[in-house]
Amino acid sequence: MKLSRRGFLGWSGTLVAAAAGCQGIRAIGDLQAATYEAEVPPQGIEGWVASVCQQCPGGCGIQVRTITGVQDGVKRAVKIQGNPYHPISRGSVCPKGVAGLQALYDPDRFRGPMKRAGARGQGQWQPISWEEAVATVVQRLRDLRAKGEAHTLLLMAGQVRGLMQSLLLRFLEAYGSPNYLSTASGCEASRQTLFLTQGIAEPIAYDLENSAYILSFGAGLLEAGWSPVRQARAYSHLRQGTPGRRGRLVQVEPRFSVTAAKADEWIPLRPGTDGALALAMAHVIVSEGLYEKEFVEAWTFGFDDWQDAAGTSHLGFRSLVMNDYRPEAVSALTGVPIQTIVRVAREFAATRPAVALAERGAGFHTNGLYNRLAIHALNALVGSIEVPGGTVIQRRPPLTPLPPVTRDAAALRGLAAPRIDGAGTVKSPLASSVVSALPEALRTGSPYRPKALFLYYANPVYSVSEFVRHPELLDAIPFIVSFSPFPDESSRHADLILPDHTSLERWQDDPIEATWGPAVLGLRQPVLEPRHQTRHTGDVLIQIAQGLSGTVAAAFPWKEFSEALKEGVRGVAGAQGGLIMTTPFEEARQRRQADAGFWLPTYKTFDEFWSQVAERGGWWDPAYSFGNRERAFRTPSGKFEFFFQTLRQRLEALTRRGAASGVGLDGLLDALGIQARGDRVFLPHHEPPRFVGEEKEYPLHLIMSKPMSLAGTRTANQPWLGEIPNVRTSRPWEIAVEINPESAHKLGIRDGDEVWLESPGGRLRLRARLYQGIAPEVVHVPFGSGHAAGGRFAEAWGANPNRLIGGEADRLTGTPALFATRVRITRA
Amino acid sequence: MARWGMVIDLDRCTGCQACVVACKAENNVPVVAPSQAQAGRSMHWMTVIPEVEGEFPRVRTRFIPRPCQQCDSPPCVKVCPVQAMTKSPEGIVSHVFARCIGCRFCVQACPYGVTYFNWQAPTWPADLREALNPDFAIRPTGVVEMCDFCHHHLQHAREAARAEGREVRGEGEYTPACIQACPARALIFGDLDDPTTEASHLARGPRAYRMLEELGTSPKVFYLKEG
Ligand code: SF4
Ligand code: SF4
Repeated sequence: MKLSRRGFLGWSGTLVAAAAGCQGIRAIGDLQAATYEAEVPPQGIEGWVASVCQQCPGGCGIQVRTITGVQDGVKRAVKIQGNPYHPISRGSVCPKGVAGLQALYDPDRFRGPMKRAGARGQGQWQPISWEEAVATVVQRLRDLRAKGEAHTLLLMAGQVRGLMQSLLLRFLEAYGSPNYLSTASGCEASRQTLFLTQGIAEPIAYDLENSAYILSFGAGLLEAGWSPVRQARAYSHLRQGTPGRRGRLVQVEPRFSVTAAKADEWIPLRPGTDGALALAMAHVIVSEGLYEKEFVEAWTFGFDDWQDAAGTSHLGFRSLVMNDYRPEAVSALTGVPIQTIVRVAREFAATRPAVALAERGAGFHTNGLYNRLAIHALNALVGSIEVPGGTVIQRRPPLTPLPPVTRDAAALRGLAAPRIDGAGTVKSPLASSVVSALPEALRTGSPYRPKALFLYYANPVYSVSEFVRHPELLDAIPFIVSFSPFPDESSRHADLILPDHTSLERWQDDPIEATWGPAVLGLRQPVLEPRHQTRHTGDVLIQIAQGLSGTVAAAFPWKEFSEALKEGVRGVAGAQGGLIMTTPFEEARQRRQADAGFWLPTYKTFDEFWSQVAERGGWWDPAYSFGNRERAFRTPSGKFEFFFQTLRQRLEALTRRGAASGVGLDGLLDALGIQARGDRVFLPHHEPPRFVGEEKEYPLHLIMSKPMSLAGTRTANQPWLGEIPNVRTSRPWEIAVEINPESAHKLGIRDGDEVWLESPGGRLRLRARLYQGIAPEVVHVPFGSGHAAGGRFAEAWGANPNRLIGGEADRLTGTPALFATRVRITRA
Repeated sequence: MARWGMVIDLDRCTGCQACVVACKAENNVPVVAPSQAQAGRSMHWMTVIPEVEGEFPRVRTRFIPRPCQQCDSPPCVKVCPVQAMTKSPEGIVSHVFARCIGCRFCVQACPYGVTYFNWQAPTWPADLREALNPDFAIRPTGVVEMCDFCHHHLQHAREAARAEGREVRGEGEYTPACIQACPARALIFGDLDDPTTEASHLARGPRAYRMLEELGTSPKVFYLKEG
């Protein structure tokens, strides 16, 4: 009897199978074994290449396994694992890291340079040669420059650092445009927090692994945070890393996130009241004398009331928190019980080292900067600044600086033009870039009309709400070039697609930013030859610059990106310190030697250095000297400032400049939406948050998170990740709105119902999931899916909450207030 | 002879699911389309089960990574009519696809729900096929598949050890893919009978327990309670 497998299956699906008796089935099973030929993927020679993941800004070192086929000679990347030598990842990866293979082999990648063949937004292309592509860009840019319109070139970039970022900025400087726009909006407020309090314009970094108590105000510590693998490692260490000690984690936020789930205590609070809560805790710590007196006296400014040179007295932080932030009052405002405020404040002050985090949640409101400042003030109160387990400042690898750029007349003229987004002006005094101001500039043509736009790992039509709703706004820019390797919403509006290699196909340095103390330089190198007709954007930039000739060409003297890269890395090789990445054991040995005064490098020449870096994946300098206070405080007072003198100077300078037009400080504060007056403006304080949408019509607050599998805008087309979007529900390919069961019940919504989620800005259809872990007045939707363009998988699932977000911002820093939108929800 | 086992520290696990994707990649486990996934047919040999308890605001969640529990007394092996489910001398339960007739008795028998049935032939877009692991055959429609502690890693480790004329070490040489990936060091692997391994030490510790122990399956996967 011959049975096909399928035929047999149909039969065995019924109870008849059991009745047939074991004997018969076993015989058929053996038959199958004899005839079944398994399909095995191509076999070949194994190799391993060290590189750096680029699925998120985490900067994890990876090792990629390659197989070069014996039959077809094709080299394939078949596995990604952590690089055990790399200090950020130490041999591990997150799920996105593993799925990096699916970025390389993304079936919908752009395969070569193309020009637009249909209308803007249609996504129809016609392949062209690289020569034609580069020549077209050169021609357009040359024309602009000749017309004195160099400043109308905008360059929008997402997460980028190291040499590539330097080259982008350098290009703008040589060409003559002030308009570098960053879509990495989260960093600005963190940078300003450190700048106002410590005088250092960099995002805050944390020495998490050595902390004993982490008080997190909405930080996405265990979701897709700023460096997920390192954060997971730090968390694990906090819990079980030291025998006999289990560090504590307290999470403050309106939703029971993954971080909250893993915390010892979850404290839900009303959206936008984080700063007030932190200040009430400060009240307890100050009134009970629990603060680190030595540090506060010697190293802070503005703690007690003080008098300036003119004899005017000013309010100190102590009086402020004692008068304005009694736990009773703050409890009513935040919804957090008084006992909880008092208890957590005491725990925080009594445990050393303790650290307060303010990334994401607390910062995504209109009062984001003040919230962050209030939270960072807690760190100062307990002296957790530049100490193990506290906040630190990220060291940078000593790369050779690029030679200065010569600016010709056209460049000087262009650079003198105002920025397109009003960053640094009365509109957003502390901002360096405000992408969300671009739609308005495009609508009004003020301060001028942009004539060209470069998109480098930036996808505003997905990530900037106003562009999500009105992608056609981009069409006001006559010439758009996208360097994206993958199709996306914004590239659909481009005139030229000049696709970059994916990260596993190119050379790139990856210096760690804003993560922890030590300087780390990872190296990305081609794991295999580029699979398609793509080109390194660094090379393309060099070619465009050289096509433009003159000083622009002179600023880019390299043949290709990798040449510039080697030149930069030379500085590290010559720096007399640090070490090639290696095992912790070997590291400890080398450090002992270094401490004893012998720094014995493993290399003699630069070539040796380079080949070791390429083999191991990078270089780093584990030495971080804690307690170097002079270095940590570069404010006017040389101390941690509770009273922000820099903010005062900045706002006063802007008012003086505006004085002619009759705008006083009060007028400026009004325009910025700041209600405080007098000294309070320059102290950490609670600003009442503003929300988009009337409470009567839109009774719920919308908040978002970045789940581990969906970092930003690039991973939704990777099916391994689409299958695991949310560990909390374990439902593949599902992005739902989470709602408290009680609120859902009132609205007649059941678990799994299709609903409309509606804000004043727009609406979104998705499934509702009832969840006990969310405050009744709040609903939650994750970021990262719901793409209109981005490949076959990305376009097939999820929902993009950016569509709903209203236009509010923390106007001081220009950070979009992502959590400041009210919504309503109805059954679909 | 080694008795390989896994310890899962629930206190360290952050629910990141790196283990889930690493497993998927290592073993060429097919991706299941959204429509099939809705019907509960998604395939994850390693998965993270969320356990939510309580009411707002007193909610508690535990993330429980769940590979095959690798029972010393495996029900799936007992019920398999064609000996496709087998237990090796070292105690590793694995599944011989070529023998499987797709009767799914094992799916019914397993109390942990770790066996998956291929309802459809796996399909990958041509580009994604390139990333398939050459160490593992692709399964056709109609067979069951499940976690076998990355048995092929043991084979590789054994070859390497044999070349040096010795046995595979109790830890560090043979490591399943999920464990390689885990950033939180929540997964620890080793010879449970070798008292010097971290895994055997932790499995005997006060926080250790096994899933549905009362069924008498004697899993070789141990969980460590939080706290
Ligand atoms: S944390 Fe970020 S950089 Fe690290 S493996 Fe995951 S995606 Fe890659
Ligand atoms: S990789 Fe580790 S931390 Fe992440 S879910 Fe799996 S066991 Fe937990």
